[in-house]
Amino acid sequence: MTRIQRETIANLVIVGFCLVMLMWAIPTYTPKYPGYGASPRLVPNVAVGIMMVMAGLSLVRLLLARFAGKTLPPAEHHYPEEAQSTGFTQIGRINLRNLALFMIPSILLVVGIEDLGYVPTAFLFLMVLQYVIGNRKWIQMTVLSIVVVAVMYIIMRYGFGVPVPGPQLFE
Amino acid sequence: MEMILAGLLDAISPVSLMYVFIGVAIGVLIGAIPGINGPMAIALFIPITYYMTPLTAIGFLVGLNKGAFFGGAVSAVLLRTPGTPEAAATSWDGYPLTQQGKGEKALRMALYSSVAGDFISTVVLILIAAPLAAVALFMGPAEIFALISLALTVIAGIGTTSICRGLIAAGLGLLAGMIGTEPVTALPRLTFDVYQLGGGLSLVPVAIGLLAFSEILIQMERFTGKGSGAHAANVFSSKREDRLLSRKEFFANTRTLLRGSAIGIGVGAMPGLGAPVASFMSYDQAMKRSKHKEEFGQGRLEGIAASESANSSVVASSLIPLFVLGIPGNLAAAMLMGAFMIFGMQPGPLMFKENAQLMYGIYGSLLIASLFLAVIGRFGLRAFCKAVEIPAMILYPIVIFTCIMGSYLGRSDMFDVGVMLTFGVIGYFMRKFDFSYVAFLIGFILVPEWERTLQQVVIISENNPTMFFERPVAVGLMVLTFFVIGKTFWGNIKAGRDCREPKTKSTPQAENN
Repeated sequence: MTRIQRETIANLVIVGFCLVMLMWAIPTYTPKYPGYGASPRLVPNVAVGIMMVMAGLSLVRLLLARFAGKTLPPAEHHYPEEAQSTGFTQIGRINLRNLALFMIPSILLVVGIEDLGYVPTAFLFLMVLQYVIGNRKWIQMTVLSIVVVAVMYIIMRYGFGVPVPGPQLFE
Repeated sequence: MEMILAGLLDAISPVSLMYVFIGVAIGVLIGAIPGINGPMAIALFIPITYYMTPLTAIGFLVGLNKGAFFGGAVSAVLLRTPGTPEAAATSWDGYPLTQQGKGEKALRMALYSSVAGDFISTVVLILIAAPLAAVALFMGPAEIFALISLALTVIAGIGTTSICRGLIAAGLGLLAGMIGTEPVTALPRLTFDVYQLGGGLSLVPVAIGLLAFSEILIQMERFTGKGSGAHAANVFSSKREDRLLSRKEFFANTRTLLRGSAIGIGVGAMPGLGAPVASFMSYDQAMKRSKHKEEFGQGRLEGIAASESANSSVVASSLIPLFVLGIPGNLAAAMLMGAFMIFGMQPGPLMFKENAQLMYGIYGSLLIASLFLAVIGRFGLRAFCKAVEIPAMILYPIVIFTCIMGSYLGRSDMFDVGVMLTFGVIGYFMRKFDFSYVAFLIGFILVPEWERTLQQVVIISENNPTMFFERPVAVGLMVLTFFVIGKTFWGNIKAGRDCREPKTKSTPQAENN
């Protein structure tokens, strides 16, 4: 996929999001005008308006480039290695498999912790995460998981006095 | 005078000193690890500050940020992998010195330059922030509204190659910041009937998700299934002259240090530019003015002095717009603003009136943090060098778990962990598509004040929009805002028209991205 195609899709998604916000979400989930001050819908509409105009502008620009049979200007074409590795953004291919590998255990942790409790869920989570990253040293993985879970438990429970989520082990 | 003394006494209380010390030490350690930077560290540690007093919390976070700025130089010098974006220029001369076995000398130069730049900048902040804030007090809601509007458009340029995408990100940040209770009607807005959203999105999970979790998701793409462990070699030579930095060597760079500090202060005081700009600008100036231009990039101490003095002086000077106008100059300042807001304080000129003792306490903590940075850096240098060698397969699970528990800590609610994960994914896509998460976060933080001032203007003027025209400063600022937006429009249309055939100029790799 070229950058023009990627950016076109991204901008179309943004325009679609803005339309949903303007036509459904903002009118439905914003209080009515109370008769004084600015309308509660004004600022959300302005924010969405900015997004939509800018995304529309980008689309016009991409279309102009496409019809001319050209691609993006050189300035936006060159991302020096240094800028990619040290800058704020890391433009590149979306690795959905990798994203899923880290998000699924994280989501399972959020869901499972309330029922199974902090200690077993967090331990399993850390083991899975280390395995996904590529660690195959089972003793190191187990020790690290136990230490991290225990240290976090002690910090939360006795340092800040915050109960860890889910059923409590020592209650 | 009493306030100044009381504030300084607070800053040198044992508890405060301890937290600043811990903050600086953790900051250096974290900054040394490639991929973790100051704002990310602040986001990860804000939840801990819930349990501190405002002064110790801000002192701790400021120490963390200062430490991380120097820490970034450690991996830049030893591995040529800058721990933070602003340390990139440091690696150009630092790494060649490491290859020559003079890594310790390079790190010492980086440390002393950082401390010098940071100290000078802190003194300038102390001298000018309060007088400027006194002038800023004459600004009314119309001027503040116009100023925030301008700041949002200027800041949209940070962290992206396109101001257009920056404005989209800022708009999304504004929208996310409006979720919660509407200020005038006190009724829920954009909560989608989810009761946990009634109080709005907390800054901590949003910031941890965008800054830390999304960064780790991207970093892990490199390591998944492979494991990683960087190895810094040839750092500590056995020769004394290769390890130590002589006074002569340090003072030979006095001009460069002063110039770098001045550039850093100027750049930091202007919202939207940031430390990387200061660092590159200072390096460029040092090279142009040097008698040994040809030695730059081959291991010249002057290059390290230029880069480090400039980027470290941004830390304190970026607090000038925050303290004077209530507008964060960069991401770290935005995170500190969030920390102030957690304690129920709104940074801005009124802080000097309402919380004078705290402000002088913060000044004291800033100076103490500089001193601690010198001490910790000097005696812990070798230990911090080991931090760059922590394998990713050990480090990243710990960081991810810290992100999760840190998000939970604020309200003891797993819903916030869900928010963090959601914003982690949003941040991942923002980074991949070059949308500025910096602009998003600053929009998110500034929107309550922006809306509040807008409401004040509308209510005071009794819905008369011409009220703006009676305030020349506000008009000037709004004209500037529209000028920036208009320039963006024109620039985009022109760029679309002026597209050049890339076959000769672009790389296939860039095209396939």
